[in-house]
Amino acid sequence: MPDRSALHQANLDKIFTPRSVAIIGANTKKGTVPFDILYSILSGEFNGLILPVSPGKQHIAGIKAYKYVVDIEDPVDLGVIVFPSTVAHMALEQCGQKGIKSVIIISAGFREVGEKGIEREKQLLEIAQKYDISFIGPNCLGLINTDPKVRLNASFARQMPAAGNIGFLSQSGALCTAVLDFAQAKGIGFSKFVSFGNKADISEIDLLYYLMRDEATKAILLYLEEVSDGRALMQAARDIREQSGKPLLIIKSGRTQEGASAAASHTGSLAGSDDICDAAFEQAGILRCDNIEQMFHIATAFAYAPIPESKRVAIITNAGGPGVLTTDAVVRQGLQLARFSEATTKVLKKALPNTANLHNPVDVIGDATADRYEAAMEAALQDENVDGLFVILTPQSMTDIDAIAHQVAAASKKYRKPVYASFMGETDVASGVRILQQNQVPHYTLPESMAKTFAAACRFGELLRKSPGEPTPITGMDVSKAKAILQGAKEREKTYLQEFEAVEVLNAYGIPAPKGALATSPEEAARIAKTIGFPVVLKIQSDDILHKVDVGGVQMNIQSEAEARATYESILSNVRERQPEVEIQGVYVVRQVPPGEEVILGLKQDPSFGPVILFGLGGIFTEIYNDFSLRVAPLTKKEALEMVRQARAYTILASARGRQPKDVNSIVDALLRLSQLAMAHPGIRELDINPLIVLDEGAGCFAVDVKILLNQ
Amino acid sequence: MERNDIKTKVLKVISEVLDTEGVVIGEDDNFVFDLGADSMQSLQLVAGFEEEFNIEMDEDKALEVQTVGAAVDFIAQYV
Repeated sequence: MPDRSALHQANLDKIFTPRSVAIIGANTKKGTVPFDILYSILSGEFNGLILPVSPGKQHIAGIKAYKYVVDIEDPVDLGVIVFPSTVAHMALEQCGQKGIKSVIIISAGFREVGEKGIEREKQLLEIAQKYDISFIGPNCLGLINTDPKVRLNASFARQMPAAGNIGFLSQSGALCTAVLDFAQAKGIGFSKFVSFGNKADISEIDLLYYLMRDEATKAILLYLEEVSDGRALMQAARDIREQSGKPLLIIKSGRTQEGASAAASHTGSLAGSDDICDAAFEQAGILRCDNIEQMFHIATAFAYAPIPESKRVAIITNAGGPGVLTTDAVVRQGLQLARFSEATTKVLKKALPNTANLHNPVDVIGDATADRYEAAMEAALQDENVDGLFVILTPQSMTDIDAIAHQVAAASKKYRKPVYASFMGETDVASGVRILQQNQVPHYTLPESMAKTFAAACRFGELLRKSPGEPTPITGMDVSKAKAILQGAKEREKTYLQEFEAVEVLNAYGIPAPKGALATSPEEAARIAKTIGFPVVLKIQSDDILHKVDVGGVQMNIQSEAEARATYESILSNVRERQPEVEIQGVYVVRQVPPGEEVILGLKQDPSFGPVILFGLGGIFTEIYNDFSLRVAPLTKKEALEMVRQARAYTILASARGRQPKDVNSIVDALLRLSQLAMAHPGIRELDINPLIVLDEGAGCFAVDVKILLNQ
Repeated sequence: MERNDIKTKVLKVISEVLDTEGVVIGEDDNFVFDLGADSMQSLQLVAGFEEEFNIEMDEDKALEVQTVGAAVDFIAQYV
């Protein structure tokens, strides 16, 4: 089978820019999808040939209709199938016979309706593969290309949106219509607009790569209900950013924590599916949005204005209160108020009245005219210390709103610095806001939204400028040894490793654990303890016991051989008393590690993103403080260090209150090794190292307790 | 009733509902894909067959019938 992704890229060109479109299954009944699609193409003023296929009709809407698509004499670039699902496969088969490679299947009644639909969808895919067809859908709204050379509205949306620089992809068709309506009210235009439905063939990943190549698209928006292939999505986001500099904004619905099921490990219970999604998006530089409004706030900033060079902003306002509000928002979002140069202050002093505030935020006073705004904006934008400008306007009786809006638009066009505006209010400022929208000045009703958006744009700018970090080569790993241990457990049909086995797996990957060995008698326990040195810890080892402390199976601070012998006996007696039926393999005798800071390192297999690594505050506080960071494996050294710094536990590790700093480098090394382990052994479902005891700087760390859970 | 007689009546109903006068209809013709029946016309066809043959069919099953030949066989169970 040829590489479908490469095929899709070739076929997507004709899906978006066809010279002829066959609407297969069109009819004459207004208010039905088959008619409305044809009507949309007609009323959208498609620059190409329109070919309705409708058995039993000679013509539709004055256009000659064909019984079958194979009856059309002209070549057909794009087939839009609107037949019911029961016969959609027949239409697709004929598309193949006609040589049509690019198809949109609007019809519903597939995977979303259950078994029968799944079968139908499979049938479509088989036909597509037979003829090298690529199709969008089924169960979708269709697509729109606003390019004036094409003007294709192959959808049943009520309107053709304005042309613009935003590419929008959605898994939900119904949401598309709401988004179009929302965007029209805000004067937002689109380059491409796609509802991809069940993504049986062409996926969101294929569409993302197409929009990466699309010159008309400056920002890409995606609404997703499920992440089918998280790693491919992350790679696409990185490729898009690195190869085109375009931001990818995603709304991923389903934020509830149903994924954090009753897990057997700390990592499993901490890392819910949405936490993982959040972390993965951040790691890949995807801007996750909570709602449509926020998405368009950010998208218009990217589509209309340059990406900020830094966080230094100037504020120009005609009222003190909003100036303070904006300053608060700037600080809260981690932005900086730019410090004006002396030259700028001089210019402002000359241009503004005595009562004006010449420092940032600049208050041009309530009676400010467009000229006064212009002078202040010019001065601020020429200042090298300013990387972005916020223009605030409140509608006072002497404010010429429209004239000021025109000045803001002119200033934003003149300088290669982002200019955002907030004309506060609704009715009085409406005409000014329209002028701003028409001139593609990002506008926000509230300064808080403006600052939040600017901060998001800054973060993306930083991502564009920084290198992603190189994969760090790790040495000293015995992959085959770990594999043998895991294979052994699998053959015994065990769902978790005993601790001594788990420690061997860690040792194979060079993750330090205190010395220890399995004892099967009191005498052996004493001998091992003497060999490895006191104090030691004794822990019960049984295939049937996961939580050893709960059954009295752990004793610490054993100081002598006699104590080791006695403790061996007492542990066995504790366990037999509480769980008489369990099979006991022995007692693990392990060197007790000196006190240090306790952190947790974890691993979890996520169905969408694969192995995920966790770092956080460890020991008994893990779940109480919920302090952890996540990354999708494999990690670079840079990412591992970021993980450690991101958790609040880092403050404790990095010499809080004058204490000796802990060995953060050893944690980073352990994280990198854990990441390698995760990648090499997908059979590990969950892994906890809790606690990892971190000693003073230079003294290393030790995995004191480890659990490895295996796939069923 | 002979199968051929059923088929003749079925074709008559199809011609009335789908306005296919002059169109050669084969047993393999699909009501939707070849004859252009929409969802409303599919319901009309079921009603037309019931009236023509004076029968009452299982509507869900009847709507699953896709071709003319299959419709003839389906109706044969009732007459």
